[in-house]
Amino acid sequence: MTDIRTKEAIRYLGYGRHAVDETTLAMISSSFKELEECVERRSVYRIFDCIQGEGNIIKIGKMNIASDSLAKNLKGCQKAAVFGATLGVQADLLIKKYSVTNMARAVVLQSCAAVILEEYCDDCQGKIGEAAEKEKLWMRPRFSPGYGDFDICHQKEILRMLDTAKTIGLTMTDSYMLTPAKSVTAVIGLSAVDEKCHRHGCEVCQKEDCIYRRN
Amino acid sequence: MKISERLGKELLFFDGGMGTLLQEAGLLPGELPEVWNITHPEKVTEIHRAYYEAGSDIVLTNTFGANACKFHDKECELRQVIEAAVTNARKAQELAGRDRDNSYVALDMGPTGKLLAPMGDLSFEDAYEAFKEAAVIGEDCGVDFIHIETMSDAYEVKAAVLAVKENTALPVFVTLIFDEKGKLLTGGDVPAAVALLEGLRVDAIGINCGLGPEQMLPILEEFRHYSSLPVIVKPNAGLPKQRNGETYYDVEPGKFAEVMGDIVKKGACLIGGCCGTTPEHIRCMTEVCRGLPVLPVEEKEFTMVSSYGQAVILGDKPLIIGERINPTGKKRFKEALKNRDIDYILKEGITQQDKGAHILDVNVGLPDIDETAMMKEVVMQLQSVTSLPLQIDTVDARAMEAAMRIYNGKPMLNSVSGKQESMEQVFPLIQKYGGTVVGLTLDEEGIPKTAEARADIAGKIIAEAAKYGIAKKDIVIDVLTMTISSEKDGARVTLDALREVRRRYGVCTVLGVSNISFGLPARPIINSNFYTMAMQNGLSAGIINPSSDDMMKSYYAYCALMNYDDNCENYIARYANQGVDAEKSPVKDGILPLQTAIIKGLKEEAHSSALDMVKEREPLDIIQEELIPALNIVGEGFEKGTIFLPQLLMSADAAKIAFSVMKDVLAKLGQEEKKKEKIILATVKGDIHDIGKNIVKVLLENYGFDVVDLGKDVAPERIVECAVKEGIRLVGLSALMTTTVISMEETIRQLRESKPDCKVMVGGAVLNQEYADMIGADFYGRDAMQSVHYAQSLFQE
Repeated sequence: MTDIRTKEAIRYLGYGRHAVDETTLAMISSSFKELEECVERRSVYRIFDCIQGEGNIIKIGKMNIASDSLAKNLKGCQKAAVFGATLGVQADLLIKKYSVTNMARAVVLQSCAAVILEEYCDDCQGKIGEAAEKEKLWMRPRFSPGYGDFDICHQKEILRMLDTAKTIGLTMTDSYMLTPAKSVTAVIGLSAVDEKCHRHGCEVCQKEDCIYRRN
Repeated sequence: MKISERLGKELLFFDGGMGTLLQEAGLLPGELPEVWNITHPEKVTEIHRAYYEAGSDIVLTNTFGANACKFHDKECELRQVIEAAVTNARKAQELAGRDRDNSYVALDMGPTGKLLAPMGDLSFEDAYEAFKEAAVIGEDCGVDFIHIETMSDAYEVKAAVLAVKENTALPVFVTLIFDEKGKLLTGGDVPAAVALLEGLRVDAIGINCGLGPEQMLPILEEFRHYSSLPVIVKPNAGLPKQRNGETYYDVEPGKFAEVMGDIVKKGACLIGGCCGTTPEHIRCMTEVCRGLPVLPVEEKEFTMVSSYGQAVILGDKPLIIGERINPTGKKRFKEALKNRDIDYILKEGITQQDKGAHILDVNVGLPDIDETAMMKEVVMQLQSVTSLPLQIDTVDARAMEAAMRIYNGKPMLNSVSGKQESMEQVFPLIQKYGGTVVGLTLDEEGIPKTAEARADIAGKIIAEAAKYGIAKKDIVIDVLTMTISSEKDGARVTLDALREVRRRYGVCTVLGVSNISFGLPARPIINSNFYTMAMQNGLSAGIINPSSDDMMKSYYAYCALMNYDDNCENYIARYANQGVDAEKSPVKDGILPLQTAIIKGLKEEAHSSALDMVKEREPLDIIQEELIPALNIVGEGFEKGTIFLPQLLMSADAAKIAFSVMKDVLAKLGQEEKKKEKIILATVKGDIHDIGKNIVKVLLENYGFDVVDLGKDVAPERIVECAVKEGIRLVGLSALMTTTVISMEETIRQLRESKPDCKVMVGGAVLNQEYADMIGADFYGRDAMQSVHYAQSLFQE
């Protein structure tokens, strides 16, 4: 029996539909265990007004974004949650350590950390959704800077809007990379219309030949 | 009266929150609060004044984000902002009718908002410069002291404190932001923070932000337990809560003041508020707390060293200092130093940590290398792969200072001796950077023959250190191990001296143990027994090889016997299965063929199989007929999609071990390996994701290339310089994001200019053939194996 976490880690490792050998499976399992002992999950979000402007322009709080893909994602949303989450520097340090002694394990840890982070973001999003539903607002899938034509440069404004350096220890480099590396920022649309939107992640992506694609 | 004269003797009150009040006064989200010092001085002044009137003795200037890393405004310069901020605070002080003699203005310095290298991209020196600029302006403007606050990274704090202490004469207070588990966002704990900051000689330390007053109580108790300094507590008005996506704090002034009363009773002597607190909170707090007696600040006697994440306390339970990062008598290590093979050194460190070391000794001294540069590099790299504190081991004062400066924590230092010259060199460094130093009991006259005389030198070292304000707890005495084959009563004198220094001074002790058996056969027998005897006579930390089973047996047995191992847990965990294993191993089925072991990625099997095979066959034949074919099978499988990345890398590791067996045999036979082609690998400037580059490195090394790994975030100039100097014919570059491909393009441009015969291969998540062509690369590698093939084809020509 392979659980969902392990399946996701296998997918990130590029196995596709291929069978996974016992050694790798054991390494995946012990990697999850080692990560669980060191990651510090932290997240923060704030809700802002979301205004759809001319063409592909969206305004979230004071942030102006020009993006077709985000405009499509947020169509009909009056509010948007701006969200940040991180597993902390310990995950980076662990991967760095194994990059010196055991590269296979470093690669497996990398995948497992990605799984833990996604899972954590899903949990957080669930809670944001619950709170929003009380206000009769329904949630869209999360959308991160760098996806589609949502410019990565908005990373900077998002971190400032959430004061992430102070609240969750999340910062970025001059080239807009999040530090710690195992971190996510995203915009989550909130709409008064309950159109359940199930398409997210792989299913919505246009890169159909991707080796990491689900299913 | 100066604040330093009142510190710890009476209760002093800070102010409360600034940000939320400015927002109420009209500051918009995203607007820089510091600019308001210039654009709305009256509003800033009004808030300061309200705090003075509410009873604050200390007001912090509105300069939290006023440093070059964070503050970027087209209209205002940093100097103007800080000047205006101090003017506003001074004006408020006057308006409130408060005397400059009993109330104060402190320059507030917050974090840069960036993560320091190696995990982030801000260098220690750049952070230092940013803080230095602000601190110098603050002093010019006449602030009473500097308050560094809301810090969540110990390394950044160190840069800030050094910047203040080296460039101003002002007192410096530091408060850090902890979570409910008592950890910094970067993972450090309270004792580690205390060790670092007391080492840096700050004037007061404590906690602010992140938590409400109640959650700070247990952290305050930890501070009081470990620290010998006055403790500051500045909580938020409770834990942050969210309403309609907005953050708010809901502990009312009355409740806040009540808990602050408890905080004073638990030992804080400087109190105030942070986010969500208002002049009303501060007024209630001063009303409730004024007149409460402060608990005395007591000198603690912990002998502590620390890393970014943890403090290690030397005491009754013996600890292990790993001795393996040292070239003395190690051919392979010397080679690694000469070839700048940092990975080899890092592996020595990680192995010792895995084997149970508590502190790692770091000695990289060789006559023909630049020890200062190497020491800095090794310390920098080690502290990003291990959380163990380091012992900086060098006789070169320059190397020692360079390492102490960039060390992320309070280091152990090896060593100072009773020679006047040595003490004059080392003690000022400790006075400045902090550290616990090993004091060798020898002086101008040499090593005394008697235990008493060695203890006398220990006394001299302790007394001299006191002149520099270095407490006895920061001195650890090494009474020196003498070789018994040349000095008959060597062991006896050493053991007597151990007891004597413990008796006379109560200080902790260290010993390099293995010297005892020099010149004797079966040295581990003597070493491990002497080790036990030394622990029994008061050794706090042995400098030993944690990979030596004999030494570790002594260690674990001693701890179990002396009740330093709860329920013998560590002993049982380590040795419970030993008997069973011993019975099992002889019945193990034969040895796996080398090729199978490599294909399956089994390291130990590959090792034993290789050892077995070299008995019968020539190493070069084994490489050609076994190792390379096995690698090819795995490589082909990877390309066909039947073998995947983890397996490919496990096989690479197994092959590496087999290669090293061959290498050792070749070295013994005096034969040379084939000369290796050099390839540079680097992750380009601005990019800090290097896992792809590391995978390529492992595979290229496996296929017999000599990889010069320049690391991540590497400037084009450095790559070019290295390519020219080493006569490199192939450079591999990696980049993860579109924002960093620009640096890749620039690196290629510069390489073309200065080293036109050098080929460039590129790879990374955002790249494809089209993109690679556009930036002028010679080759795009979709995966690691493709890079190997390209390199092979290039060098075959």
